[in-house]
Amino acid sequence: MTEKMLDCLGEACPVPLIRTQKALGELAVGDVLVVAIDHSCAMKNIPEWANKEGHNFEIEEVSEGQWEIVIEKSH
Amino acid sequence: MPITKDHQYYDLVVIGGGPAGLTAALYGGRARLKTLVIEKGLIGGLATYTNEIANFPGFPEGITGIELARKFEKQARNFGADFKNTPVKSVDLKGPDKIIETFRVTYHAKAVVIATGGKPRLLGVPSEDKFLYDKGISFCATCDAASCKDKVVMVIGSGDAAVEEGLFLTKFASKVIMSVIHEEGHMDANAAAQADAMREPKLEFRWNTVVDHFEGADRLETVVLKDTRNGELIGVPVDRCFYFIGYLPATELFQGQVELTERGYIPTNTRMQTNLDGVFAAGDVRQTCLRQVATAVGDGAIAGFEAERYIAEMEVFEKELMQRELPGMIYVYSPIDERSRDFLPVVREIERKYAGRVKLSLLDTYKSECLAARLGSVEAPSVVFTQDGKVVGKTRHLEPARIGAALDALVDHREPALAE
Repeated sequence: MTEKMLDCLGEACPVPLIRTQKALGELAVGDVLVVAIDHSCAMKNIPEWANKEGHNFEIEEVSEGQWEIVIEKSH
Repeated sequence: MPITKDHQYYDLVVIGGGPAGLTAALYGGRARLKTLVIEKGLIGGLATYTNEIANFPGFPEGITGIELARKFEKQARNFGADFKNTPVKSVDLKGPDKIIETFRVTYHAKAVVIATGGKPRLLGVPSEDKFLYDKGISFCATCDAASCKDKVVMVIGSGDAAVEEGLFLTKFASKVIMSVIHEEGHMDANAAAQADAMREPKLEFRWNTVVDHFEGADRLETVVLKDTRNGELIGVPVDRCFYFIGYLPATELFQGQVELTERGYIPTNTRMQTNLDGVFAAGDVRQTCLRQVATAVGDGAIAGFEAERYIAEMEVFEKELMQRELPGMIYVYSPIDERSRDFLPVVREIERKYAGRVKLSLLDTYKSECLAARLGSVEAPSVVFTQDGKVVGKTRHLEPARIGAALDALVDHREPALAE
């Protein structure tokens, strides 16, 4: 299992979602992608997408208005 | 993959971090319940999808949904509520130990507030699923307006949200086309919003139309509308399409456990109680007549308050009424009933006689209606007998001799002989 960091700080929608989809596509099942974001719109569409796709995820608010979405590739 | 899951224990778990959930958590936290809010995405729920909230009291200049949600969250945190940002996978809410499963943790709660709100309604037309979210169909003007600068967008719907968000989009897009199902000049929005819309040169209306299907290669390129008068198909090239056609309750998780209406909402009484003990619902997910931040906050306050009351009563019920140390006698009475009052001195006398052998509890049905309901069907005045934490008999015949005989039996571990 590997863990990859994806820095999307300062990027507006839909860029973080598109980069997340691409980065997760390059990982193997069971690998973990940590996406760093600071645009609230990405806090809506990335969880919505991950939920729809059935990937497990948890989010940590690392500081006010900045989050890390930890996504485990499940298929 | 985690093999063993972590177990965490809370008094109150609130599922959903919108205005209803945040208010329930605020009340729970303030009542010193160990409280957790679980939210899958951004805290604030549907309110964060609105650029400006103009009708929440206390903010005469208006406030953005995100700012308002931040304030709600801060206030709930100030009262000690914890937050977890992850989706709930499944729940088991039927028993007294409510179980909420997430990816890594199994949460146990004494009470649960369901405040999951709604999710955007879809049209269900061909190719819609190919273009959702980042592919061209959006539900949030606030989120995606900036990426529509100088582009052509379409808005589906004609209610308040459609018209207000359509007007907001004109600040970015070169043209906003509104597809409206009604006859020319008819919209569902409020009159003020309609008047603003008719004056806006960047808004273009397609009356008497519905979406037939969507077309595009990777991304949405064309919305094909159908004229409802003659069935004619009209292809309209757009860069993005926004839906403002309402929401569906997010209740799949609770199917088969919590009672739902035909349309999937959770019916409650005025105390936000669902059909399950210790499970409350608040906000947009509830069967109600108005879904606003202001109503969600009111629901949340009641749900948080009632959750606290439920937990307190549960504790009295288990630790006092259903205590296991001694045989128990519960006098169920109402202070406004004369017969109840008259028998109270007799009860006190029995208590003195059996001191150290029987535990007497008084249950005021006027004050503790729910607690009385927990004992099953009892009317004041009556006497309930317990043994080893279970009800073993009850009677409405308030005769000291018969009650004494029943208590003697219990002290000797025999079945009490009682007439209902």
